[in-house]
Amino acid sequence: MGRAEAQDRGGRKWRNEEALLPAQESQRRDRTMAALGRQVLDWHRLIPLSWASILRQTPHFGEQKRATASLLRKLTTASSGGALKGLPHVQPRKYVQELECGTSLTQCLLEKQRAPVDGGSSEREELISSLLDMGFTDVHVQELLSIQPSPHPQQLLAIVSKLILLGVNPEPVCVALKKSPQLLKLPIMHMEKRSSYLRKLGIGEGKLKRVLHCCPEIFTMHQRDIDRIVKVLREKCLFTVQQVTEILHRCPYVLREDPGELEYKFQYAYFRMGVNHSDMVRTDFLQYSITKIRQRHTFLERLGRYQTPDKKGQTQIPNPLVKDILRVSEAEFLSKTAYSTAEEFEVFKKLLAREEEEESESHMSGDKSTSEEEEEEEEDEDKDEDEDED
Amino acid sequence: MASLVVSGARHLLRRADFAKVLRRHRHKKKWAATEPKFPATRLALQNFDMTYGVQFGDLWPSIRVSLLSEQKYGALVNNFAACDHVSDELEQLHARDFVNKAHSHGELEPESGQTAAPSPASWACSPNLRCFTFTRGDVSRFPPARLGSLGVMDYYLMDAASLLPVLALGLQPGDTVLDLCAAPGGKTLALLQTDCCRNLAANDLSTSRTGRLHKVLHSYVPQDVRDKSRVRVTSWDGRKWGELEGDAYDRVLVDVPCTTDRHSLHEEENNIFQRSRKKERQMLPMLQVQLLAAGLLATKPGGYVVYSTCSLSHLQNEYVVQGAIELLANQYNIEVRVEDLTHFRKLFMDTFSFFPSCQVGELVIPNLLANFGPMYFCKMCRLT
Repeated sequence: MGRAEAQDRGGRKWRNEEALLPAQESQRRDRTMAALGRQVLDWHRLIPLSWASILRQTPHFGEQKRATASLLRKLTTASSGGALKGLPHVQPRKYVQELECGTSLTQCLLEKQRAPVDGGSSEREELISSLLDMGFTDVHVQELLSIQPSPHPQQLLAIVSKLILLGVNPEPVCVALKKSPQLLKLPIMHMEKRSSYLRKLGIGEGKLKRVLHCCPEIFTMHQRDIDRIVKVLREKCLFTVQQVTEILHRCPYVLREDPGELEYKFQYAYFRMGVNHSDMVRTDFLQYSITKIRQRHTFLERLGRYQTPDKKGQTQIPNPLVKDILRVSEAEFLSKTAYSTAEEFEVFKKLLAREEEEESESHMSGDKSTSEEEEEEEEDEDKDEDEDED
Repeated sequence: MASLVVSGARHLLRRADFAKVLRRHRHKKKWAATEPKFPATRLALQNFDMTYGVQFGDLWPSIRVSLLSEQKYGALVNNFAACDHVSDELEQLHARDFVNKAHSHGELEPESGQTAAPSPASWACSPNLRCFTFTRGDVSRFPPARLGSLGVMDYYLMDAASLLPVLALGLQPGDTVLDLCAAPGGKTLALLQTDCCRNLAANDLSTSRTGRLHKVLHSYVPQDVRDKSRVRVTSWDGRKWGELEGDAYDRVLVDVPCTTDRHSLHEEENNIFQRSRKKERQMLPMLQVQLLAAGLLATKPGGYVVYSTCSLSHLQNEYVVQGAIELLANQYNIEVRVEDLTHFRKLFMDTFSFFPSCQVGELVIPNLLANFGPMYFCKMCRLT
């Protein structure tokens, strides 16, 4: 568990918060940081040189841009992945700015280098080159620019850079923005706050890519709605902070759920099925719909193939694994876990739906009729009260 | 974890009881401090898992899930309500008369040369019975029966499998009939529907249950028919019938008290699996043998008896039949022959799910697609 530091131009040091990372992870980090250290130093040499050499060595410019873009990616990857205490993200931004400065001086060269992009203002060209610098390909750039309604270039750039800085690669950023153009309408401040919140939760890079893909609302939704879900998970379900992060990144759809229903789902798993917290996280239990969970579990239970564990967590028969119940397709569930037929399961689902409808109806009217029924019960006393009466 | 338990989990734990309990039959909250830890319904299920798991093997899970889920009903058309539109209305709902279906099924099949061609009297079904059910896989429910123009209800909702013992008895016009354990009255009503009863004696030991029998008869059978069929309702001890009315009846139905398997999984009240009724439950097979023996003694020589239960247990079914036959042979020197109901079973195979390996008699087993039964029945002929 060593520490690696890299010096940048401004003399600030980057630190690794390795206490939170497993040993292997931190070793990899060390290596990356070391390599990075060298590259950074090289790059610093590059920067002053490039300005001058640009004019002389135009053919190489493209490659250098590639290199710097990939470097940038490495820097941000190393900096933001996994660590809960956010590293100062000021550094990468500085580099972005420097790149921007660098490129603006070489506009004319750009125009010569590249196939003509759809004409427009120089602002637009600035945008394009910034995007290219960040590692987007021409195709990506085209796609981003064609998103309707088209955002202001600055807005687009800001949102895009935020995502890049959170460690998402250009391709997924592009896909996400195409799929959910509403992301581009977000105010920058909101984007800032949300980014740092996500970083705090430990959702970045690949994890964020996945979440962004399934559930872009993670950026657009109100903070209070995210808080509500996190609160249910932490306070009602008693998941640990790490478990909550795992859940959010693996089952991002929980963000869309009604907090009450999410809690019910957890309770069903915990009390009815005897699934503990870590198994719930590991098997991505919370992503499945409560209907599917109830159908398959109740079916198994009534078949006699699943038992609710007793107080000591024991059952008389070995219960099938969660993955064999929920993760598999219905056909496989029926043949390998339930040993039953599709027709029987279809009928069962209908019967169960009706039962639940009637349960909920009787619950709603239950409070009203209780007093009536208690009077009725008093009259019937002699017949069947022998056991209860004490 | 205390907070986890309090917040709504109680509601879930209640639902964790496999069987659905009617609200008024749950434990009395006023006195009980906690939920009953081991309700009788749960004891019943445990008992079944132990015995039937062994008895039925791989078939048990599908029977179990069916028993725990909502059962399927049949609508026995009331011939005395004299409304033809009832059949039409029921067909509109996409229900079909399974008795009719069975008969046409039987006619289509050529009489393949069996070694022992069953004599007509033994497998002919009791006539005039119409009972509608929904098709396999259809979970629709029948609307409640309504009062017809003649002041009696238009149909009677019952487990369709309950009709099979009555069909198997094969009533013929002019028969004197005894229903030894008649309450609550579904089968008794069916016997009357055949219009074959010169005399019908309906008996049940319990007076409260005979009360229900009276209600059913009043709601479904007009006074003149009851008079014509000389329906006599009594509350005597069925075991005494050999002495009371020996050798008197053409057809006898002995639908004995049993562990009422399906009912015992859902109803807590007066459940026979309560610990306080353990002795009673263990004595059941003996009681059943005595009742069947009495029924046989009350049959005329050459007459027929059908024994039926709504339990899956060997001990209450085949063992009782064999025990009663032995008893009659040894103590009374009376010979009784078990009738083969294979042909009968084939008629109804499309509607019901039968257990393939009964030593004697037939057993309808619940299945999600045809959630009728359990219903065991065995037909016997008193030879001497």
